[in-house]
This record gives sequence, C-alpha cells and structure tokens, in this order.
Amino acid sequence: MFALKGSATRLVGMAVLMILVFFGPRLLGGGGAIYAAFVLIAIFAVMAYGLDIVVSDLGEVSLAHTVFFAVGGYATALLATSAKMNAWGTLFCTIVIAMLFALVIALITLRLREFVFSLVTYAVAVVAMTVAANWSFLGGSDGVRGIPVLDLSFAGLSLKASNDRELWPYAFTLIVLAIYLIDRFRASRLGAAAIMTHLNPRLATMSGIDPARVRLQVFVFSAPISAVAGWLYAYQRAYVSADLLDSYFLLLMLTSVVLVGKRQLFGPLLACALILTQEKFFSFGGYTDKIVLGGALVLTLAFFPRGLMSVVASARERLAVKQKN
Amino acid sequence: MNLLQQVINGLVMGHAYALVAIGWTLLLGVARLVNFGHGQMYMLGAFVTWWAFAKAGMPYWMAVPAAMLTGALLGLLMQRIMLKATFEQNLVSIMIMTLGFGYVLHGVAALVFGSTGQVLDTPWSQIDFEYGALWLTAQDVAIIVAAIIVFIGLSWLLNATRYGRLVRMVAEDPKLSQLAGINVRRIYFGVFAFEGAAVAFAAGMVAPRTPILTSMGFDEVIMTFVVVVLGGIGSVRGSYIAGVGLGIFTSLFAALVAPAYTTAAAFVLLIAVLVLRPKGLGIGSGGGAH
Repeated sequence: MFALKGSATRLVGMAVLMILVFFGPRLLGGGGAIYAAFVLIAIFAVMAYGLDIVVSDLGEVSLAHTVFFAVGGYATALLATSAKMNAWGTLFCTIVIAMLFALVIALITLRLREFVFSLVTYAVAVVAMTVAANWSFLGGSDGVRGIPVLDLSFAGLSLKASNDRELWPYAFTLIVLAIYLIDRFRASRLGAAAIMTHLNPRLATMSGIDPARVRLQVFVFSAPISAVAGWLYAYQRAYVSADLLDSYFLLLMLTSVVLVGKRQLFGPLLACALILTQEKFFSFGGYTDKIVLGGALVLTLAFFPRGLMSVVASARERLAVKQKN
Repeated sequence: MNLLQQVINGLVMGHAYALVAIGWTLLLGVARLVNFGHGQMYMLGAFVTWWAFAKAGMPYWMAVPAAMLTGALLGLLMQRIMLKATFEQNLVSIMIMTLGFGYVLHGVAALVFGSTGQVLDTPWSQIDFEYGALWLTAQDVAIIVAAIIVFIGLSWLLNATRYGRLVRMVAEDPKLSQLAGINVRRIYFGVFAFEGAAVAFAAGMVAPRTPILTSMGFDEVIMTFVVVVLGGIGSVRGSYIAGVGLGIFTSLFAALVAPAYTTAAAFVLLIAVLVLRPKGLGIGSGGGAH
C-alpha cells in the first residue's frame, strides 16, 4: 500500500516536473536564445545519458561516446542530403549504425579493463576525428552542409521544425524518452547485472552472469542514446563537421555524468542545464569557459567524489540529526 | 622517395615518442596511474619553452629547464588535488580528473599564449648535417642523444640507487611499503613532478620540429599510450625500444601510404597488439617500474 502510494507520488512529481520543463522556455520569456538553450540542454543531456549508464552502472569510462554522437550527426547529414532520406529514416539508420559501431568497439575492447579500456576508446575518438577531418566522403574539414529541416510528418500530420522554438517539443520528447529508458534500464535484469558486474565481477560470474556479455550489451544499448542526440543536433545546426568529435563534447558528457552524482536519474539533465546556462548566459569567453568546465569536473571529483547531491544529502542528514536532538 | 632518409626520420621520431612517453612509463609503472592531460602538459611545455626563448630572451639551454620547472610544479599541483583518489587507487576518478586538467590547461594556454600557432626556432634547428641525399638537423641529433641519456639515466636511477629501490618497492606494493616506513606520499609526489618535468623537457626538445598550437596534444597521448603498451607497462627499456620501433613504422607509413592517417595506423597497430597480446609485447617484463 505504502509502496503503491510512494510510486504514485513519484509519478505525479515527475509529471509535474516534466510539465514545468516543457513550459520552461515560455515561463522564462520565450525568447529565441531561451528556446535555443533549452533545445541544446535537452540534446546534450541525451548525449550524456548514453555515457551515464556505462560510467555509473558499468563502472567503465568510455571516451568513445563522442564517436556515437558524431555517428548520429554524420549518418543523418549524409542520408538526408545525399540520399534525401526523411527524418524517420535517418533516425532508424542512426540507431542501427550506432549499434553496429558500438558492437565493433565492444568486441575489440571486450577483454580490456579500466585505463586500458579508456585509452583504447580515447584512441577511437582521436582516430575518428582524424578520419572525419580528412575523408572526403564525410566532407573533410568542411563537413556536410545543407541538412534540411526536421520533418517527422506522417499520415497527413505535419510535424516540421524549422527553428529552435519549433524544435523544442521534439527535443523535449527525446529527453523524456531517454530518461524513461535509463529508468527502465536500471529496473531491468540487465541493469542489475551491470551493477553486479561493476561492483563484484567474481560474484556476478558465480550467480550465472557473464560479465563480458553484460559489458557488450550495455555498451551496445548505450550507443544509440548518444547517437540519437547527434541525429537531432544535425537537424538543429543544419550542418555537421569534425567538431562533433571535439573534446568539448567529451568533457561536457563526463561533467554531466559526475557533477550532480552518478546514478542520479535527473543528474545529467540538471548538470547539462547548469553548464549550458553558464555558457550561454554567463559566459566569460570561450577559453575561460573551458577552464570553468574542466575545473568543475576536477574539483567535483576531488572534493565531492559522489557529486553535488552528496552535499545535499549530508546537509539533510545533519538537519535530521539536529531536529532529532 | 629516399627510404634511408625515411628510416632516419623514423629514428628521430621514435626517440621523440620515447622521450615524450618516459614520464608516463614511470607514472604507470610506479603509481598505476594514467594522465590524460599528458598531451596538454606537452603543449604547455612547448609554449613555456617558446615564451622563455622567444619572448623573455632566455637562451634555449635555459628555456628548457624553465619549462621543466613549470611542468614539475604542475605535476605537484595535480597530484596534490588528486592525492585522495591516488591513495584510494580510484582510477575512474583519476582518469576523468586528468582529462579535466588537460581541458583547463588548454583554456589557460590559449588565454596566456593566444590561439595562433608559433614556431620554436631554436639555434640547433638551423644547423644542418647533409650527406648526399640524406639530411638531419642538430635538433634531431639532440633529440636522439637526449632520449638515450634520459633512458640510461632513469634506468640507472631505478636500478642502482636507493631512491630507485624505494620507487620500485612502492610500485610493487604501496601499502606494504608504507608499513615498511616508506613515505609513499612523497614518492607519488616525486613521480608526478618527474612526469611533468619529463614531458616538458620532451616538448622543449621535440616541439621545434613542428609548429606549436594550444590545440595540440591528442596525438601525443595516443602515441605515448602505444609506446607504453607496446613496451610493456612500466618498462623503461621496453618503452625506448617500442618508441623507436613506432617512429620507424609511422615514418614509413607516412611516406609509403598516407601521412594524414599515421595516428590511425599507430592505433590499428595498438589494437592488433591488444587483441593478440592484451599485456603488450612485453619488450620489458611489464608491471612495475624497471
């Protein structure tokens, strides 16, 4: 009974939060810059959720998730411009291609752990950047331009988005879907197996879990989440280039995962909102913003290894003890 | 194309790779730590050398030690901030923190030195040695000599001195070493300071070969990683041999196949090695500093 009540309260709370987020741009004045910021926060948060389950649940630091983000962007750009594929088609292909990329990387790195795994995934990202910047098929250093506007129209229903204001409902839907997927993943057997593999691989093996298989499944599951963010980003920017593999996106993803705290359902979204708000509305200039982003990452891990939520949690505990006394 | 010239280029590049990787070799061998900010520390070392030489008017032989001092201080600062994670051997946090440090260094360097490329035009770069169609600068010779001296010196330090014995003990078992009265904290600080100074020294020696940019550093990390893994983690001798081998490989690949994809080729080589032999080629015996 209590569990049901608690679950209903959680559901209502989440629904209220989501409604507030959806109408957030309008509540904040509805300017173009506000809508642009909300769209980017949603896109980058989705990108970070892909990495979140690998870092928080599997306990490995993948530095290749910018590659999946870029795969989404490039697949969309090439298919939408050269093959004139519609947005549903590019979305489907983005998911399939990202899963194939993830499968290959996961098979290569299956036996690698900790820093060797991270370094190989880092090398994948650096090599991908070299390839993207030099291969004419991917547009070389110019990238791919002329991506049409997002058009998800079907059955006579017009669903087009030609600016950030019109794009916001789609970005919002994407972030809601990503959060739902992460929530379901954590409640699933695969999610439980990932945590067990992370915390005690030997115990996981004893209980019949194959850690290598779990790692592979989680990696392949996570890739399309980041890739779909790249899909929407390509439509939002109308062009893609090798800068999708820039270290900025990697740092943004990592900071989003650790800033609020690992395994916090809304952590990446909140962190992205904080970082993007600073960059878009309180920017100190590009290079200083780099110092702020990198500094936030370092200082969070050095002084609050469990994220900013741990500060809130310990403050709550202190308050509870005080009230008890 | 002159094949012998490419082999000479490869030898120079190889010694450069080995020199850039030496700090990481010790860091990984002793403290079991990785530094993803290594590439940006290389970049900073190059810019400090350039600034000291071209702007502050220091002679080149003084500009390099100035960069080394900056690198050592930076290494100490990084280790101070990461000390708790180091003692806990929290590799996930350390990896992410060093990436963050690298990003901060990029921002700081761009603010201080500007985002335009610079050329570190040392006096040694202008001295050419020619023999028929073969060609080499004094800077190239200095890189080879410096790498050999540093590797011999480090091997001697690790294997024939009391400090080296302490470092090897900490590499073997930090907790037991602490129980035996060794100041493990000081060893970690020393190793990080060495990493900073060594990569700055490498930058001061190697950077005159190419234009320097605040955005560089990624390739250096990959090449360093390839050298360290191929040589056997923690092996000083192995890193030297792997560095030289990698230099010859990349030089020939650039000349015979495609210069734009040398990093990719080195990465494919690395993947092949990791898939076939996950512990590296084991040129040295691997594991621990030696």
